[in-house]
Parts: sequence; C-alpha cells; structure tokens
Amino acid sequence: MTTMNTRSLEQPTLEDNYLTYTRGIMSWVLTLDHKRIGVMYLVSVLGAFLLGGVFALLVRTQLLVPDGLIMDQDQYNQAFTLHGGIMVFLVIIPSIPAALGNFVMPIMLGAKDVAFPRLNLMSYYLWVIGALCMVYAMVGGLDTGWTFYTPYSIDESSAMSGVIPAVTGAFILGFSSIFTGMNFIVTIHRLRPDGMTWFRMPLFLWSIYATAVIQVLATPVLGITLALLAVERAFGIGIFDPALGGDPVLYQHFFWFYSHPAVYIMVLPAMGIVSELIAVHSHRHIFGYSFIAWSSVAIAIFSFIVWGHHMFTSGQSQLMNVIFSFITFSVAIPSAVKVFNWLATMYKGAISWNTPMLYGMGFIVLFLIGGLTGLYLGTLAVDIHLHDTYFVVAHFHYTMMGSALIGFIGGLHHWWPKITGKMYNENAGRFAFVLFFIGYNMTFFTQFMLGSHGMPRRYGTYPADAGFQTYHIISTIGAYIMAIAFFTMAGYFLASVFGGRRAASNPWGGRSLEWQCTSPPPHDNFSEQPAVGDCYDFSVLRWDDATNGYVWREDIEHPGMTHSEASGE
Amino acid sequence: MTQLHVQSDGHEEHGHDHDHDHPEFLGHHWKNPVQQFEAGKLGMWLFLATEVLLFGGLFCAYAIWRSNHPEIFKYGSQFLDTTWGAINTGVLLISSMTMAMAVTFAARGNNRAVIVTLILTLFGAAGFMAIKYVEYNHKFHEGFYPGMAFYEQPHASELWMPLEETAIAKKAAIAQSEAAASTALAVEDAKRAEMPSPPADAQRWNKPEAAIGPQGMTTNQESLDIAEMAVFLPPSVLGNIIDQTGELQYAEHHTPGEPVHLAHPLQDPERPANAQKFFTIYFLMTGLHGIHVVIGGVVILWLLLKTMKGHFSREYYTPIDLGGLYWHIVDVIWIFLFPLFYLI
Amino acid sequence: MSMFGMLATMKLGEATSGGGFWMPENASTVAAEVDGLFYFINNVNYVSFALCVAILLFFAIRYYAKPSSHATFDPDAPTHNTPLELTWSVVPLLIVGVMFWLGMTGFLELMEAPSDSYEVRVTAQKWSWTFQHPEYGVTEAAELTVPLNKPVRLIMTSSDVLHSLFVPAFRVKNDVVPGRYSSLWFQATRPGQYRLYCTEYCGKDHSKMLAVVNVLPEDEFQERLGKLAREYEDIEDQDLPAYALSRLYNRCASCHSLDGKSGTGPSFKGLWDRTKKGSTVFTNGTSLKDLMGKGGEFEVPENYIRDSIVNPQRHIVQNYTGAMPTFQGQLKQRQIDALILMLKNLDQLVDDQGNVIEEPNLDNADISTGAQQ
Ligand code: HEA
Ligand code: HEA
Ligand code: HEC
Ligand code: CUA
Ligand SMILES: [Cu+2]
Repeated sequence: MTTMNTRSLEQPTLEDNYLTYTRGIMSWVLTLDHKRIGVMYLVSVLGAFLLGGVFALLVRTQLLVPDGLIMDQDQYNQAFTLHGGIMVFLVIIPSIPAALGNFVMPIMLGAKDVAFPRLNLMSYYLWVIGALCMVYAMVGGLDTGWTFYTPYSIDESSAMSGVIPAVTGAFILGFSSIFTGMNFIVTIHRLRPDGMTWFRMPLFLWSIYATAVIQVLATPVLGITLALLAVERAFGIGIFDPALGGDPVLYQHFFWFYSHPAVYIMVLPAMGIVSELIAVHSHRHIFGYSFIAWSSVAIAIFSFIVWGHHMFTSGQSQLMNVIFSFITFSVAIPSAVKVFNWLATMYKGAISWNTPMLYGMGFIVLFLIGGLTGLYLGTLAVDIHLHDTYFVVAHFHYTMMGSALIGFIGGLHHWWPKITGKMYNENAGRFAFVLFFIGYNMTFFTQFMLGSHGMPRRYGTYPADAGFQTYHIISTIGAYIMAIAFFTMAGYFLASVFGGRRAASNPWGGRSLEWQCTSPPPHDNFSEQPAVGDCYDFSVLRWDDATNGYVWREDIEHPGMTHSEASGE
Repeated sequence: MTQLHVQSDGHEEHGHDHDHDHPEFLGHHWKNPVQQFEAGKLGMWLFLATEVLLFGGLFCAYAIWRSNHPEIFKYGSQFLDTTWGAINTGVLLISSMTMAMAVTFAARGNNRAVIVTLILTLFGAAGFMAIKYVEYNHKFHEGFYPGMAFYEQPHASELWMPLEETAIAKKAAIAQSEAAASTALAVEDAKRAEMPSPPADAQRWNKPEAAIGPQGMTTNQESLDIAEMAVFLPPSVLGNIIDQTGELQYAEHHTPGEPVHLAHPLQDPERPANAQKFFTIYFLMTGLHGIHVVIGGVVILWLLLKTMKGHFSREYYTPIDLGGLYWHIVDVIWIFLFPLFYLI
Repeated sequence: MSMFGMLATMKLGEATSGGGFWMPENASTVAAEVDGLFYFINNVNYVSFALCVAILLFFAIRYYAKPSSHATFDPDAPTHNTPLELTWSVVPLLIVGVMFWLGMTGFLELMEAPSDSYEVRVTAQKWSWTFQHPEYGVTEAAELTVPLNKPVRLIMTSSDVLHSLFVPAFRVKNDVVPGRYSSLWFQATRPGQYRLYCTEYCGKDHSKMLAVVNVLPEDEFQERLGKLAREYEDIEDQDLPAYALSRLYNRCASCHSLDGKSGTGPSFKGLWDRTKKGSTVFTNGTSLKDLMGKGGEFEVPENYIRDSIVNPQRHIVQNYTGAMPTFQGQLKQRQIDALILMLKNLDQLVDDQGNVIEEPNLDNADISTGAQQ
C-alpha cells in the first residue's frame, strides 16, 4: 500500500506538474491557470516590496540626523509617499489574496480553478498597468502622502504633477482588486465540491471570503473618489476645493470609507493564514473553529462603520467622533477572540518550531502590540494627542507590516514547498526570522515613544534638541537589520529553487486539500472531485520516512477514495 | 489506504473521465452547465453591486451638495430640457423591454427573434446616445461647461432659448406688444455688445480669492459673527460669506416651474453663487452613465454577432442573460438620474 | 531659513527635556487628564500583553515537539468550549467599554472652551503661522504669546491647504481647514516656551512649519503685547527698512528669497528695479509699464507693490501662480510702508548672497525672543 502511494505521489509530479505542463514564455503570459497567475502575482508583489523597501530605507536614512542626511524636503516627501503608496496599493493589498490566495484557494477548496480564469488573468494585467502608472507618477513627482488629502492634492501650485497618474494607477489597481474579490466570492459559492460545506472550509478560506466581500463593497467607492479627485484637479469642478465652494473634508470621508476597510483587507487574510499555521504546526485541531470563522465576518461588517476614527481632529461633529470611537472599540472584540483561540489551539499540541510556526507566533506577538496600540488611538481624548504623530506610524507598521506582511511571509514559507516543490533551508529560515524580529522591534517600537513625545509624521527634518534623535538612530539601525533579514530570505528562497531538496506532498502534516495533491500540484489540481472531511483532524495522518512527509494512515479509511484508485489505475 | 487521487490527466483532453458529457461551452473546471450558469449570474450580480456603489459615490455627492445649496439645483435644473429627458427615459425603458424579450426568446431557443429584439435594443442605445449628444451639444454651445470653465468665456452665441417656449410665448403674446418686445431685445443686444470680456466680477471666480465655502460657516458659527470676522479676514473671503445671503434669498423669490424668461446665467444678476456646480455634477453623473450606455451598446452588438453566428442555444445563452442584467442596471440608474436633475 | 536654524538651536525650557518615558512634560490643565487616561490604557495593555505572551511562550515550550520527532495529533485535546469563548469575548468588551467612556468624557471636556477664554485668531499658510490678538491689535508670526493660567481659545483658519496645530506639552491638536473655522483651547499651567508643530501634511516645508508658544505670567504678558502693539509706531523712520527685514520679512521668506533664486514667488532681489522700470510681465501678457503713470492703475511703482501685498491676485507675474495670500488686515499701513522701503533699499541691507549685512539695531530689540530673525 505504502509503496503504491509513494509511487502515485511522486512519480507523475517530477515531469508533470503545473510548472512543466506547457513551456515557453507565452504559456505563462497568457496562462489561465490560477496557480501560474498566483506565481506571477507573487513575483511581481515581491518586486514591488523590494522597491517600497528601498524607499523605506531612504526615509530612515534621511532621519538619522535632525537636518536630514541625504534628501531635500521635496525628495523626502516623495520618498515617503511612494513608500506608502507602493506598500499599500501594490504590495500588501494584493499580497495574500491575489498571490497566495490565487495559488492555494482553489486547491484548498477542491476546485480545478477559480470561477472566471480569464477575469483572473485580466486582474493580473490590471495590476501591472496600475503599477506602471504608479511608477510613471514618479516621473512627475508625487508628494501628497498615500492619502492624497485635498485640497493639497488638487492644487496645482502645491502638489506635484504625478497626482493624476498616481490616482489613475490606484483606480486601476482598485479594479484589479474588485475583480479578484468577485472571482473569489463566486468560486467559494459555486465551486465547492460535494462535501465541502461552509463549515468544513479551512479558516483561510473564510478569511479570504470575508476579505473578498470587503474588496467588492468598498473599492468602488475609492474608485469614484479618486476619479473625482483627478477630475477636480484637471478641471476644477469644485467638489473638494473650498475655493470653489467644495468641501475638503468630504474627501477624507470618502477616502477612509474605503481605506479603513482596506486595512482589514490586509489583515484578515493574514489572520486566516495564521489560523492554518498554528493548527498545522501544532498538530492540533483548531480551537473554536466557528468563533474564528464568524469573527472574520464580524470584522468585515464592522470595518465599514469605523472610518471616522481617522478624522477625530478634522473638525467633524463631536457626536460623530463619539459614535466612531464607540464602534472602533467593538472591532477589538472579534480580533481578541481570534487571538485567544489561537493560543488555545496550542494547548496540548505537539508544537514544531518550524519557520512558518515562528512567523505564526511572531504574528501573535506583533499583532498584540499593533492591536493594543489601536486602543489608544480609538480613545478620543488620547488620540487628539497622538494623531498624525509617529505613534500612528508605529501602530500601522505593527499591524500592516508586523501582522499582515508577516502573515504573508509566514504563508509563503508554509506553502513554498507546495508552490515550488522544493524545501528551503530550515535553519536559514529560523535565523532570518530572529533577525527580522529583532530588527523589526528596534525599528518600530522606538517610534511609539517618538510619537507620544510629539514627533509629527511626514517630517523630513526635526528639531535637534527635542530628544528625538536617539530614537531615530535606533530605528534606522533596526531598519537596516530588517533589510538584511529580507535579503537573507530572498537568498535561501532562490537557493532552494535551484538546489533545494525535493518537497514531499505533505511536509508539515497539513490536512486541508492542498496537501493531498503533489508538490507542485498538477495542472488540473484534481482529476476527480475530492471528497472532504474535517480539515483540522490531523489524527488521520502519520509521518512517512520514505517520502519525508506525512501520509494517510493505513488503518483509517480514506474518504476520498474513488473507483479509479480502488481499481488500481 | 491511499492518498487522494492525484494522478494528472493533464495532457489529455479534459472530460474523458467524467460520466456526463462536457459540451464545448463548458469551462474545464465546471461540473455542469447549471453550475457555470449560476456562477456567471452570481458574478454579474456582484459586478452590478460594484457599479451601483460606483454611482453611489456620486449620488452621495449630489445629496450633500443639494442639501447644502438647494438654490443652485433649483436654478440650474431650469436649463435642462425636460422633454428630451423624458423621451430618453422612454427610449431606455423600451430598450430594456426588448432586451428582456431577447432573453426570453434566447431561453426558448428562438434565435431569429433574439436577433430582432437585440437590434431593437441596439437602436434604443443608439437613440439614447444621439439625444444625449444633441443635449450636450446644446449645452456646450450655450457655454454651460462643468466646473470653472463655465465662467471662462462669455458665451458668444445667441441668448439661451428658454425651455418653456410655449408658456413664454403665451405670456409674451398677452403681456407685450411686438414693439415692446423688439425694444427689449435691442436693449439686450446693446448690453451684450458692451461685454467683450468676462463680466467685471469674473475675478471673483479666480480660485484663490473666493476662499470660503458656505458650510464652513456652520462650524463654530456661534461665537463668530461677521463683524467680528472682519477684523482679521481678508475682504475676499468676507465678501464671499456675505454673498450667500443673496444666494439664499434667490430660492425664496422663485417657485419651480414658474414661467420666466431665463437670462443666460452669465448675464443673470440673480444667478446664485457657484451656479456652475449644478452643471459639474450634471455632466459627471450623466457622463458616467453615458459611458455605461456605450459599453452596454458594445456588449449588445457583440451578443448580436454571436447570436448571428449561432453560438447560443436553448442550453447555453448565459452571455445574453448577463448582458441583459447589465443593460437593466444601466436603465435603472437613469431612472434615478432623470428626476434628480430634470424634475426636482 | 536662518529663522528655523535659530528655532532649532533654541533652548525650549523643560518642555522638551522633561517628561517621562511615554509622555512629554505636561503644561496645561487637560494634560494631566489625558496622561491619566494614557497610563490607564497602558496598564491594561501591559497586563493583556504579558498574559497573552506568557501563555504563548509557555505553550510553545511546554508542548514543544522536536521537528524530527514528527509528532502527530492528540485526539483528546478540546476543540471548543463555548463558556470560555463567551468569557473572553465579554471581558475585553467590558474593558474597552470603560476605555471608550473615559475617552469620550475627556474629549468632551477638551472641546468645551470656558466662556471667558482669551481669544487668538490663527491663520495658517504654507509654511508659517500668523497669530492675531484682536484685543491688542497685534499680529505675531512664528511665536504665540499667551497668558499663564488663563484659558486661551484659538480660532483657526487656513488660507491654502490643510494644516494642523499641535502643542505636545498641552496635549491639544486640531486641523486647520481652509474655508472654515476650527478652534481649540488650553490653559497653560507653567510659564516657559513650548514647541508648536504643524501635524497635517502641507507640502514642501511641512516639517519646518514650527512655532513657539511663549507662556508668560499675566502682567508680563500684557506688557509684552502692549510693546508689540506699539512696535512699529515707535520705530524711527530711517529704521523702517531694517525693521521690515528683521520683523516682517519672515512672513515672506517661505516664498521670496533675497539672493535672486526664485521660489514659490519671485525673488526680492532686483524686484524694485524691475518694478521701477515697469518691465514686469503678467500672465495675461500685459506688462507693468502699461498700467503705470498718470491715469493708469498705478501712478507710481510703490502703488504696485502695495497692491501686490494686499491684493496679490489682481496681477499675477508671469511664470508664477496666484499662490500668494493677501496680507490685507494683517499688516498695518506703516508696516506695508516699511516693506516697500525695505524692497527699495534691499541692496544696502543684504549682500549678493542675501545675507544680512548689518544686524539691525532697533531701539526695542528686546521684544525679539529669538523666534524671529
Ligand atoms: C492591517 C492594518 C490595521 C489593523 C488591523 C488596524 C487595527 C486597528 N486600528 Fe489601525 N490603522 C492602520 C492599520 C490598521 N489598524 C493604518 C494604516 C492607520 C493609519 C493610516 C494613515 O493615517 O496613514 C491606522 C490608524 C488608526 C487610527 C487613527 C489614528 C489617527 O490617525 O489618529 C485608529 C483610531 O482609532 C486606529 C485604531 C485601530 C483599532 C482599534 C484596531 C483594532 O482592530 C485592533 C484590535 C486588536 C486588538 C485590540 C488586539 C487583540 C486583542 C486582545 C489580545 C484582547 C485583549 C484586549 C483588550 C483588553 C481589549 N487605527
Ligand atoms: C505594508 C505596508 C508597509 C511596510 C511593509 C512598510 C515597511 C517599512 N516602513 Fe513604512 N509606511 C507605510 C507602509 C509600510 N511600511 C505607509 C502606508 C506609510 C505612510 C506613508 C504616508 O505618510 O503617506 C509608511 C510610512 C513610513 C514611515 C514614516 C515616514 C514619515 O511619516 O515621515 C517610516 C519611517 O520610518 C517608515 C519606515 C518603514 C521601514 C523602515 C520599513 C521596512 O520594514 C521595510 C523593509 C523592507 C525592505 C528593506 C525590502 C527588502 C525586500 C526584499 C529584499 C525583496 C525580496 C524579499 C523576499 C523574497 C521576502 N514607513
Ligand atoms: C505663499 C507664498 C508667498 C508669500 C508668503 C508671500 N508671497 Fe509675494 N508672491 C508670491 C507669488 C507666487 C508671487 C507671484 C505671483 C503674483 O504676482 O501674485 C508673489 C508676488 C509678489 C510681489 C510682486 C512681485 C513682482 O515681481 O512684481 C510682491 C511685491 C510680493 N509678492 C511681496 C510680498 C511680501 C511683502 C510678502 C510678505 C509680507 C509676500 N509677498 C509673501 C508668493 C508669496
Ligand atoms: Cu502646515 Cu504641515
Ligand atoms: Cu481605521
């Protein structure tokens, strides 16, 4: 039996998987295979991340000394704007749903592809066009901050001329994101195979689903807002421009109506990944499955009605402030539920400190800091002091980078064997994690103190005697350490592709469907509709030395057995 | 036992291992046509939701502007031609009906009827755009541009021809003799001749000077009366605030539908401040809607060609069904736009 | 920019050196309350964080399984527990409920200015602050003088884009929005100088849009404002250009250089010559010459300068935008005269590089606190 399994697992994949299915550039450029599209997204997103990271290092270097080390004011303003814009629109929003989600979601679900493969490819090319627009915006210069606040952004004598290309880019990226979301919702609704009920879906799918709902419902509003901004700037229509009877604060409402939900677009899928990481690497059934699932939905719903907490000092009415503050706190509860359930999952587990697990645990620590500091910001009287200082910068790096991005990186490690069919060097992985974790906290924890002591954000220079410099220096050193960690990571990933050990179908002991096809998966994922069970019931698996991975236990009947296999085909 | 069957049939034609037949129009990842159809439908509904939200932003803007400046909308809507608007509404409604018929015929597999009804729908789309073209053209001709362009050139053409021509003609016949009318015209001609450049106060519309928005005054107004503000406000700003008194009075002196001879806004002393905003939002919303009509037209044309080539059948007409959904939403949006701009 | 250089090296009293690990020193009545709330959340967070991380580490170590041991599942471990779930939902809910309530009451207090507040009008423009004291008819730039132990209310507006006024030591902040008024209030509890920042991104020199709040005991405050009010009257006529350069030019400095480099606006260097000759060309193609002379809009070049200051939008110089705000109502007649005199005599006041040749020696130089040039 075992030998038969081994053969059927290993042999076909060597020459026959989605990577080798067809060859040539065009077979990638025009591919409709969700896995290849996922890989193209992955490469592009990592490229954008490198670019955004370079701008981040420029920002950090500038702030080493009070008068600014390397840039003038205009250059600094462009550096942080491009850093923020690239990281948000090109990296973190597409990272998990479009890159990892595209790859694993249909397989996890047991489908052969997403519902609309052509639309999927189109989303990718929209991303590319949007990215090109963003890059083109650099030519004219873009210095508005990623928020494009009016009236600065619509005033030609203020903001540089890259505004229109940039908002066009963001508009197009928005549609890329909408189409991805639509595709995923339909896939989850309509392509679930028999047996894959809603409450048998892996939690990653729940979070992808909740994310997709936000993408579909919030992004159009951003689209029309940015279109209005471009029209306003080009023709002076007087919608946001106070000089023409418009209302600049209206723009903020429109913008945050999208961008607050957007922060949960970033973190929800990461939370989904962490649910998988913790359960799989603790070899332990997830605790409180339905609470975690529903809390994703709750976060998705609440996220639409808290946008005003970015505008506590904008002069909106006091009543609005109070209401928004109140709802903001209510989002903390579903987040708390998730954290506690993850902890409970580890109880009585058999916890392997694999690199993905380290990222899972790192996520919990960093998200705790990021989320708990959200509470200061949600508290009205305190936010008045902290708004638009480095405290906010630190908060959102802990949530966006320390949580969302770390979820992505963790997921990348987790699914890397599946995507490439190769194992990376575990020790290098653990080393890079430790380096990252140290550098990360040096960079951003100091920024909490900077902020509470009054250092405003978006400052290219700062007073020399205000006591800020020490923190800035620590922060910059941390950023360099972090950069080294990321380059290490890039190094061992690349090395694994060219010389890594072959990965088993199921190296970690996962139970969801993607671990039940070969690594890398075949072109069509599954030749038969797979039958599904409890995807966190790991008791059916055992370690198999021959394949260096987990296999189904012989003494338990496999629910997915089909007649073709039974007949020994 | 065994792992989940993972052997790949990648190189072979898909479908060989399925018990049911796998028709050509069915994507390789679908189990059966019903599944594919349902998915397409769900996808379309989601897309329509995003469309509604896209317009939703503009409807919000409309609502906010209108509640802040009802007088601008009362004033501006007089310049729209209700008749054309109503005709266009009819055109769209009828084309929606023919589209619905096309879907029904497609479901029955009656291809010829589908072709006829699709052509009719296409005529509807074209007719709508033609009428929009006439309307837009007229507006541009008169100098009704969106945004600040509204004030840029004093319009060179004849005076605006009032909308309620009949009402005004009646009024004129009763109240004025031929002679009186011609003198009035002569006076107006003379006035116009004296205006080679923008009206003297056009400077007011230069961006930086008119620096204050009306809703601005609602915050913290309690403690700040205008006299107090004069101490430190530049006169340009102050002037604009005082302006509003007149602007608000405008609405009181006019009732909607009252048959008046409309002076061109640029020469109208009673024009409310920021009158251009009406045309801004009008062109934005109807323009975006127009783009959707054009896209809808292209989609219908494509469906028509496909039908003529015989791509669709009783078993498979999903694209027609989805195209129909799209066309209906375009129609529904117009149903909202028409009263908002032309009627109220 | 030397004004900012001065600012940067100035000693700002305890405001910057004092303060704890988390919060800067506090110098207003509301600050203590805000800090109290901050520390309350801090403590709650320390406990929650420590608890969660302790559990995490404990489990991670206690249930550690060597990766090579290829451990598998313990089927007896619980997979759900509804009472537990409810507990850990409701307890945080109660805690954040308390946070919300305290934050709200504190905020409402922060918003409610006492009715007897001393009012200051603030105008923000790229990239400087103007503070007006209507009671004294005094306008300050880059420094805001306020009385000690008395509620002060700022009524703020912007003449271009969004700005935000932030005084960390007072824990107050509010956006400054063009086309509307916003306000904030504070009551300083400690004399001294405190930094004031612009915290809403407003473009190029956003990070240099700094000012100083100077808190003086009531009597000193009155004395100083009285002096400021008479400042320009007391000046001898021949000192006016120097006075303009040292006290007024800082409001133009963000746009007009002295060394010939054009910035947001044309440089002041050579401006007078150009104006005198009428060679300035405007965006609409006309040149200044056409407007000057008897019967023209400007009889003499001085009138053009005056008009440029109070009514800058009327004629826009070619290659520039109408970015200049009006100074109508902010500068007294005599101050405008001083500016015109300064422009006329600029070559005697500054050298080619735009450096001040001779530090002005004005009678009441003691008014200057160093916040000005
Ligand atoms: C992934 C991104 C992400 C996430 C998840 C969050 C999560 C939260 N954020 Fe954050 N936020 C941003 C990204 C994110 N934010 C960004 C990008 C900005 C700034 C944008 C800009 O201006 O450029 C911002 C700004 C921002 C502000 C505006 C600050 C300002 O500008 O003045 C506020 C104010 O309320 C806020 C609050 C919160 C809260 C309450 C949460 C909550 O969801 C957090 C909930 C989680 C926890 C609370 C931790 C887990 C809970 C427990 C372990 C239980 C125990 C806890 C209790 C005792 C309650 N955020
Ligand atoms: C996901 C979002 C994200 C991420 C990941 C980051 C990452 C970083 N950010 Fe950023 N940041 C933002 C989003 C993000 N930021 C936003 C939205 C703003 C606000 C902008 C605004 O105000 O408008 C901001 C602003 C901001 C500021 C404030 C600027 C100001 O207000 O003046 C600072 C200052 O220190 C900063 C620093 C950094 C640093 C040092 C990193 C570092 O962690 C970066 C490290 C990364 C690298 C060095 C790249 C290495 C990559 C590779 C080698 C590629 C290959 C890798 C693999 C295979 C894994 N950021
Ligand atoms: C925010 C920027 C800004 C500030 C502050 C500013 N100006 Fe200007 N100024 C401009 C710009 C832009 C122009 C050119 C356009 C125009 O003519 O209005 C200009 C033009 C002028 C001119 C006419 C120049 C010429 O070449 O004919 C004079 C005189 C002038 N400013 C004086 C002043 C004085 C005096 C102050 C301070 C009290 C001042 N400005 C402050 C931006 C500014
Ligand atoms: Cu003014 Cu920033
Ligand atoms: Cu938010």
